[in-house]
Amino acid sequence: MAIEGYFAHRGWPVLNFQRRAWAAYAGGRSGLIHAPTGSGKTLAAWGGAVEEMVEDGANGLNYLWLTPLRALAADTARALDRPLAYSGKPDQVALRTGDTSSYRRKKLLEKPPPALVTTPESLAVMLSYADAPARMSKLRAVFVDEWHELMGSKRGVLLQLCLARLKALNPALKTWGLSATLGNLDEAAATLLGPGIDADIIAGERDRPVALVSLLPESISRFPWAGRVGVHQLKKVVERIEAAESTLLFTNTRSQAEIWFNAIQSVCAWPERVALHHGSIDRALRESAEQGLVDGRLKCVVATASLDLGVDFPTVDQVVQVGSPKGIARLIQRAGRSGHRPDGQARIHCVPTHALEVLELAAAREGLTQGRVEARSPIRLALDVLAQHLVTIALGGGFETETMYREVRGTDAFADLDGRQWQWVIDFITRGGPALKAYPDFQRVVEIDGRMRVPNRRIAMLHRLNIGTITADGALQVRFSKGASLGTIEERFLTRLKPGDRFVFAGRALELVRIRDMTAYVRSARSRKATVPAWVGGRLPLSTLLADGMLALIDDFETGQAPDSPEAVAAAPLLSLQRRVSALPGRERLVVEHGRSREGAHWFVFPFAGRLAHEGLAALVAARIAARRPATFSITVNDYGFELLSAEPVELDEQEWRELLSPRSLQEDILESLNAAGMARSRFRDIARIAGLVQQGYPGRRKATRQLQASSGLVFDVLSDYDPDNLLLAQARREVLEAQLEYRRIERALDRIARQQVVVTRPERFSPLAFPIWADRLRAQLSSEDWQARVNRMLTQLESVA
Amino acid sequence: MKIDLAGNPLELLPQRAVWWPAARSLVVADVHLGKDQVFRRAGIAIPSSVLEAELAALDGLLQKRPADRLIVLGDWVHAPPTDGEAWPAAISAWRARHAQLAIELVLGNHDRDLAPRLSEWRIEGHQDPIKINGLELNHEVVYEHPVAGMSGHLHPVAWLRSGRERLRLPAFARSGDHLILPAFGRFTGGFDGLDRAYWSLYAVAGERVVDLADRAVGRERGRRS
Repeated sequence: MAIEGYFAHRGWPVLNFQRRAWAAYAGGRSGLIHAPTGSGKTLAAWGGAVEEMVEDGANGLNYLWLTPLRALAADTARALDRPLAYSGKPDQVALRTGDTSSYRRKKLLEKPPPALVTTPESLAVMLSYADAPARMSKLRAVFVDEWHELMGSKRGVLLQLCLARLKALNPALKTWGLSATLGNLDEAAATLLGPGIDADIIAGERDRPVALVSLLPESISRFPWAGRVGVHQLKKVVERIEAAESTLLFTNTRSQAEIWFNAIQSVCAWPERVALHHGSIDRALRESAEQGLVDGRLKCVVATASLDLGVDFPTVDQVVQVGSPKGIARLIQRAGRSGHRPDGQARIHCVPTHALEVLELAAAREGLTQGRVEARSPIRLALDVLAQHLVTIALGGGFETETMYREVRGTDAFADLDGRQWQWVIDFITRGGPALKAYPDFQRVVEIDGRMRVPNRRIAMLHRLNIGTITADGALQVRFSKGASLGTIEERFLTRLKPGDRFVFAGRALELVRIRDMTAYVRSARSRKATVPAWVGGRLPLSTLLADGMLALIDDFETGQAPDSPEAVAAAPLLSLQRRVSALPGRERLVVEHGRSREGAHWFVFPFAGRLAHEGLAALVAARIAARRPATFSITVNDYGFELLSAEPVELDEQEWRELLSPRSLQEDILESLNAAGMARSRFRDIARIAGLVQQGYPGRRKATRQLQASSGLVFDVLSDYDPDNLLLAQARREVLEAQLEYRRIERALDRIARQQVVVTRPERFSPLAFPIWADRLRAQLSSEDWQARVNRMLTQLESVA
Repeated sequence: MKIDLAGNPLELLPQRAVWWPAARSLVVADVHLGKDQVFRRAGIAIPSSVLEAELAALDGLLQKRPADRLIVLGDWVHAPPTDGEAWPAAISAWRARHAQLAIELVLGNHDRDLAPRLSEWRIEGHQDPIKINGLELNHEVVYEHPVAGMSGHLHPVAWLRSGRERLRLPAFARSGDHLILPAFGRFTGGFDGLDRAYWSLYAVAGERVVDLADRAVGRERGRRS
């Protein structure tokens, strides 16, 4: 076999799973290959195609390789090209991403290469050309790289729809996904291939063992109980960086990354060899940091999830994680970013930022030992993505409604789409809304000779510009008054500043000069004293797996069976203290603490359900209390529990807590308790862009679309007023529940609490569990008042300040 | 809320309009009629009830105060109508219900190519500012040197903050004897970048207009930085 020849030529042994994958491909099968990064997954998937191409030759565009990252595409194309070139078939693999020039794209259309590496969004754009059906009709196989990254997102939904289209054009199409290890591989395969398709799930070699090394304090009693920056460990971390060749330091949030970058730079002897990498920083700066790692110029890169994926850095010999990784999958992923060590281990140094994170790390170690990994949940019935896709297909040759309905229902994401929802989406793209509502002269998609098409060229152009589902979150560009762009920051943060205010961004202290045309002009600030922007949504909640692991671990302490890992040993004194002053939570026990301070009366509840679910739970409980007696609370949450703070004491006993935390009429209560409308309004931002209700501003494109500028909030208000039954509004409300508040997790937590023992304690001082919540001080807003009442209250509060 | 502009007593109405009793005039700015249509033309599904609601809001306003005249400080429409569109007829029908009312429009940047329509709607269009009682009424003002008078164009908004809550409200902005009106149209964006050292804001908070002066929001800001 040609591919085996290539392996022999490189001196690589053929692994069992690779051979199985090649055989499955040769048998015309589809499936999912899961294996850790750098274990030969790519060639396991690609080998079958190499063989096929050597035997049958090429007759047009035969293979598509889809990757979630543009940055990965070039490397992948080279990796796919090598075995082909060795087998006497050079120059068969081409590249098409958002970065590809329009000249090059045109060339690719005229003379398609046999294999094309591209992104899901680029594929959608290709499907929007009128001759797409003809061009895509020669496909033999599609490969989806990093499927675990895509499957839980709307990009994954878009890709499922595109794959269904390709399958409709090529019934014999083989589809192969590549994934890291997941807790729900069967579901991952079903999501990729569609429900009911018999998939081959091929397991690669076992994950490289992860060696977890925690940078623990000598004594936990001198370790802070709260905080999430962790710079008090700076000295130790810098020593580790010194000792290694090159270090990748991960933080959980962009603000944390900015702070750590500045801290390291200010104490180390090699400030010019440190770089910063996160999602808001300009792409050129990010690429330079990546290149610096590749060629060994940099000693340390401080990064966020922005470097979880991407090209391999063989020179990186150490990974440091600041703060808990919040999930085992992420821990493995990040550990795997270090180059291969001779002992075959992926080593990661974890730096807990406060005492309870030591316990999180202890639980993470148990999870690693037991080989457990989180699952990823696919998104279902995202009508915004469906609307976008249908317009794309209407552009790309058009569709016949009945056939298309069947095609769409063949995907996992829309298997449960009912006739009413389908009709609504068709109405939405053809009439603007249901027939009863007035949308005069609306024409996006029109039925011509039985096929749905887009006759208007301007609408076609606008749609192509808006294809895709990754949406910038209302970001402003940050740029020096004369020259270089530094990246983007959320509008929310920047609009709070006034000219002259200082902030830290991209590792520099900056001073705002002015904001104009979606750009914040800045200059370097002389003083380094400046605020660090808090990016919204930066913090991911603790995974259920890890949270449950923590409770299990606490149970083991209670029964004296705690493991003797360094983290577990280090956390023991803290848990003893918690037991002494209050009680230990556990799988069978919910702890509720009451306390008084100068601020008022505090109730702390510890369900261990993650911060998002706690926000919902706290609001729910506050509203349920308020329904019984007048009370106003301010709310604080973290990953372990939540706090309700009231000026006047509110007495509650075990039985009352049980009722407050009952799962009964959960959904109604929670929608009532939160400012659900406000949350849906901000959630609508993405939906509006994806469904084409808001035109994304493009630099240089502003003229063409200037008259079409309307914020998603404005569109949300208009639709709420004049078309309240719009299903996209309903989707925004559903997404608030499911994604923003993790409704399922709230439900599970309450079901569990219903079976648990509820222990109410009254410690004299804040317990180790309560303290970090109290110290966090991030008062979540809770408001069930109507709009006018809210405005009046805010005005009173403001006036009282004056 | 009552204010005085260069000796002219004015009333700021929560309907985002100014009542000028001495001139028996109601003043509004930036109505942007037909904006929903412009969006639909581009394939963006915005319901046409927006136009009806806008005209109904004008009806409501005209009932509140006994105006002989409606002065529009520019951007009466969002874009000139194209042939065959129905919304200009809805405006004509609305106009017929207010036959006695005089309407004057200072042409704004959106009111291009509108002459034939204006005569159909019996609206007097002005290229230059209108001058009444020492007040200059314009579409856009020179922000560095605002003359005594009123203008639109900017769609000022104010942010209210309290703890983590934030609320955006349309606002009147005042500097010396110049007043910028909030956009009358609901389907419009807003601008929050006026320099608060020179401009004070009156926010439209539901049923009332509130003088934010520099105390509340200004202090809130000062504390933050």
